[in-house]
Amino acid sequence: MKGKAIKIIFAVLIILFLIIQIYPVIWLFIASIKPTVELSSAPFAFPENPTLENFVNVLSDGKIGLYMWNSLKVTGISLILIVALSATAGYALSKFRVRGKKIIFSFFTFGIMVPVQITLIPLFIFYSDMGILNTSFSLILPQVGFALPLSVMMFVSFYEFVPNELIEAAIVDGCSPFRTFIQIVFPLARNTVITIASMYSILIWNDFIFANTFISEGSAKTVAMGLKDYVGAFGNVDWGSTFAAIAISILPPLLIYFALNKWVTAGMTMGATKG
Amino acid sequence: MGVIKSKKAFLAFLLPGLLFYILAVFYPIEESIRLSFMKWGGIGDKEFVGFQNYITMFHDKVFYTAFINNLIYLVIVVSMQLAVGLFFAILLTYMTRHVTLVKTLYYVPCIITTVAITQLFRSIYSTEPMGLLNQFLQAAGLDGMVTSWLAEVSTALAAVSIPEGWRFTGMYMVIFYAALVSLDPSVYEAAKVDGASELQILFKIKMPLIKEIILLTLTMCLTGALRGFDIPFLLTSGGPGNASELMSTYMYKKAFSSNQYGYGSALAVFIIVESILAVYLIRKVFTTKEEREIREMERMQRRQRRREGR
Repeated sequence: MKGKAIKIIFAVLIILFLIIQIYPVIWLFIASIKPTVELSSAPFAFPENPTLENFVNVLSDGKIGLYMWNSLKVTGISLILIVALSATAGYALSKFRVRGKKIIFSFFTFGIMVPVQITLIPLFIFYSDMGILNTSFSLILPQVGFALPLSVMMFVSFYEFVPNELIEAAIVDGCSPFRTFIQIVFPLARNTVITIASMYSILIWNDFIFANTFISEGSAKTVAMGLKDYVGAFGNVDWGSTFAAIAISILPPLLIYFALNKWVTAGMTMGATKG
Repeated sequence: MGVIKSKKAFLAFLLPGLLFYILAVFYPIEESIRLSFMKWGGIGDKEFVGFQNYITMFHDKVFYTAFINNLIYLVIVVSMQLAVGLFFAILLTYMTRHVTLVKTLYYVPCIITTVAITQLFRSIYSTEPMGLLNQFLQAAGLDGMVTSWLAEVSTALAAVSIPEGWRFTGMYMVIFYAALVSLDPSVYEAAKVDGASELQILFKIKMPLIKEIILLTLTMCLTGALRGFDIPFLLTSGGPGNASELMSTYMYKKAFSSNQYGYGSALAVFIIVESILAVYLIRKVFTTKEEREIREMERMQRRQRRREGR
């Protein structure tokens, strides 16, 4: 039974790797219910006296609520803009017979190669000239801009499946291009919208680089930035609260992921392979 | 091919997205290039200095350190993500049950913010209290290897590369798995009947068939590693000294800690050129003669069609 032995070895390897991938994440949650004393003496042991005290501390101090609200605001507004702008631009690039649209499409896809770091200095200067550092808008602009290439591409490739005859028929019946879009084409794109929204909600929620550059005041901090209040610093760190804060802040993306996992993976793998 | 001919409607649909895109992505590129020829400390007038920033860059020792570090970082990250990802994708094709569950769980690290991940690895690497890695080494009787991984010059770079590699391995595995299971079984069933071994089928049939995906993920992975920032920045911010300095952490420090916006922009321009060059090179290296001929033929056909259409 050589085949069976190999199968077992494979299964063991897969499970080992699974532990490597997932144990650290589980540990985050375990650590968050440990008293700080235990965390500093035996951080990786199972909790002897599980407690919710860390969560109480984090929540009662109230900052995390504000950070979550800021993140939610940035993520929500960005998502609406991403979907609205890429659904319309994709429609223009797919269903219109206009010269030069191929060039515009390649212009959009070029954006996938552009590293986000290039925007940090210019946008920082631009924002400080305009006095809009430390606002949600300062995060929304680059988030949406860098999401557009991929999402326009996803909409275009979806619209290619919408038969032209359908649109022609609507136009012949006297439907304007706008009504055709709102009543016929866009409602069909439900899956594309969910894919883009679920993927970017996670990516934007998790963003660190833009928030770290454009936000310095407490009142505008997003969750990822807020966590850095605890991280980074050495010395007298309240580890218990840190882990509780982390656990709270990674919960929304995890929930979205487990609820919409098919769409999230579809979007992200597409993002990877279309690059 | 589209069907609606109204130019006005075309612009109405296209422009909002296009303008936003130009403002957020292209205006900064233009500004970075412009700034890279200036000297500016954040206040006062910008001073035009020509290529001075680029000359400084190519004489800057730290620039070379960062460049080499970035290459090492790239090798570690890419080999972890692609080799490990591919290996487990192959193993997973032999599994019959729970595949979806395993895939879902492998993916979890990509969902978590880098700030949490760095906190996690900081605990794993720490010596005070003994972190997981050091505990493991002690348990294995390798007390001599116990060290504070992030503070040691010789280990810091590897220590900041591994979390990045770890984080996305699951994603690449999912991509490879999807590619492998989408292959038409009849192709390798035939080879099996002809007496090919599993390994032969794997390397001679399956791998070449998913070459395109491997190439695409390699591109993605490389450009991702060239712009690596979050984890090194948060874990060591390039330290100790410049032992784990990467191009983008160096750029960030130059601009936002030393207020050398001009020099920082020159580094940023270098990063973008480097990324585009890398993509171009990979495409070039991996396009075989055959594919080039096919592409040439397609182009000719297209031209002909256009001529006929008009």
